[in-house]
Amino acid sequence: MNTLMRVIAYAVIIFIAAPLVIVVPMSLSTASSLQFPPPGYWLGYYASYFSDPGWLRPTWNSIVIASATTVLTMILVVPAAFALVRHKFWGKGVANLMLMMPMAVPHIVMAVGYYSVFGQMRLVHTHLGVILAHTCLSVPITFLVLSANLKGFDRTLERAARSLGASPLQTFGHVTLPILRPGLLISALFAFIQSFDETVVAIFISGRDAETLPRKMFDSIRQEADPVIAVISSLLFLIVAIALIAPHVVSALRGRFTTKGQEKALIAQ
Amino acid sequence: MSSYLSLKGINKSYGDFVALDDVNLEIKKGEFVTFLGPSGSGKTTTLMIIAGFEKATRGEVEIEGLSLAGLDPQDRNIGIVFQNYALFPHKSAVENVYFPLQMRKVKRKEGMRRAEEMLELVGLKGFSHRHPKELSGGQQQRVALARALVFGPDLLLLDEPLGALDKNLREQMQIEIKRIQKKLGVTTIFVTHDQTEAMSMSDRIVIFSQGSIQQADAPLEIYHRPKTQFVADFIGESNLLAGKVVDAASGTLSSPVLGDCTYSGDHQPAVENGQDVTIVLRPENLRISRDPIEGRMNGKMKIETIVNYGDNALVIGLSGGVPIRVRVLGADVVILSEGDECCFSWDEDAIFLVAE
Repeated sequence: MNTLMRVIAYAVIIFIAAPLVIVVPMSLSTASSLQFPPPGYWLGYYASYFSDPGWLRPTWNSIVIASATTVLTMILVVPAAFALVRHKFWGKGVANLMLMMPMAVPHIVMAVGYYSVFGQMRLVHTHLGVILAHTCLSVPITFLVLSANLKGFDRTLERAARSLGASPLQTFGHVTLPILRPGLLISALFAFIQSFDETVVAIFISGRDAETLPRKMFDSIRQEADPVIAVISSLLFLIVAIALIAPHVVSALRGRFTTKGQEKALIAQ
Repeated sequence: MSSYLSLKGINKSYGDFVALDDVNLEIKKGEFVTFLGPSGSGKTTTLMIIAGFEKATRGEVEIEGLSLAGLDPQDRNIGIVFQNYALFPHKSAVENVYFPLQMRKVKRKEGMRRAEEMLELVGLKGFSHRHPKELSGGQQQRVALARALVFGPDLLLLDEPLGALDKNLREQMQIEIKRIQKKLGVTTIFVTHDQTEAMSMSDRIVIFSQGSIQQADAPLEIYHRPKTQFVADFIGESNLLAGKVVDAASGTLSSPVLGDCTYSGDHQPAVENGQDVTIVLRPENLRISRDPIEGRMNGKMKIETIVNYGDNALVIGLSGGVPIRVRVLGADVVILSEGDECCFSWDEDAIFLVAE
């Protein structure tokens, strides 16, 4: 039974992880279209990705749109999270529901909506249009992450700061913000990823001018299955892997110092 | 009594619920006053009104005759130690203590020096660069105290600060807080629901119940001369018995349980002949014996339960259906057993009347 369970577990892991890993050898392949296993290895497609404006422009578009989306989302979500977590007011339930809406409504439905409304407003095929749409899609997850952080925040700390002579603004700057910083960074990261990764709405409204990387990849795979797609996938995979592992490495290094400090504190007692 | 802090007619209500009902109190400069009461009695609400975090519905808080009404918490110059210490987790001990000085625009070098000095005063020399999570509960408590004192507050408020500590550490911190408070001479209000803590630390105890002050007196005064039945019951252990004054001038009363007896006239509340009163008898002022003791007043009871504490024991008996609690020394209890008929006796000094 135990062996069987183990076999199943490994099968599931391989099934889930294989598509992630398989793009790496494919990106180094000499084949002229996506093909596994690769007939030979070279770095030619990496070179063509970094030299082809047809790929670099959508990459840049995606970075700009995701960054702007992150900023706009945070501007909207931070005050909203504070208001909804800390205050009671009329219509709070409805406000909460509205914030969560984009998560429930299928993206394709929203994409069609944006296509027709933004079309009339001349926002289709513009960066601004994509940024506005992506912001709407990023709000729910960003809000969820941030409000969870805010709920765990001990407000006595703010009272303590006030009693020690800090104005409400100083309290926010010296106490609330620094303590919430990790939560803010994580929720901002979620907004960025949400936008960078978004394909459906981008296909509908980004057009040629504001073409994002996922959209370009989708077009490319339909037309020619260009192995550069494997290059991009590998690079994204690498970036995400680093982003996921880095905090653990940092906290492990920090943890070593902290444990030493705590030992000393115990000895000193 | 020249008063430093005055609470004048403070009322606080939340909708229909009255949290504080006409609280009046005068506190002298340098005094250590404890607010004692069960939870929900209004002591913490009063503290938060003084600190400026809650607004009184009616009434005034004054320091040296000046109303605090228009002042925000940050402008009141009041140091507070919170129940969970509320240390800033992202700052080291010394940065926590420096914070109030930073807010008062003290230069960093000068401020850090003063913060270090204050940490030394609370006995945390050499711990200044630890973060709160690297400090034990008692050490965090000391940092919180240093932080609340470093800027020379006009008033120090302590909101059940010892609740989270274990017994030994708590006793140690009681002595520490008292020592530091005396050294700095800062007027202090200490909130607790632990009466031994209140007894051992305070110049004066203020007893709260259901949103109003029951009594504000020195600890021994509170213990020996409770003004209300609530105080008598809440502070220490008491036998509370119904009685009626027979003759106030000579100090005689009658009681269904105690019979006719006399009481000493000192420090008793003003009572009239025929008035119903509550008789307070502390268990440690009663003695137990097989036969009536001459020269003392005696009652009879049947022993129901004996609870042994090692060095002493609590004997609970029934006299005319009313429970009587007697505290006896450990050595005396061996002659007694449950079910025995015995006598309990008292002096006329032991009786205290509460007129209600």
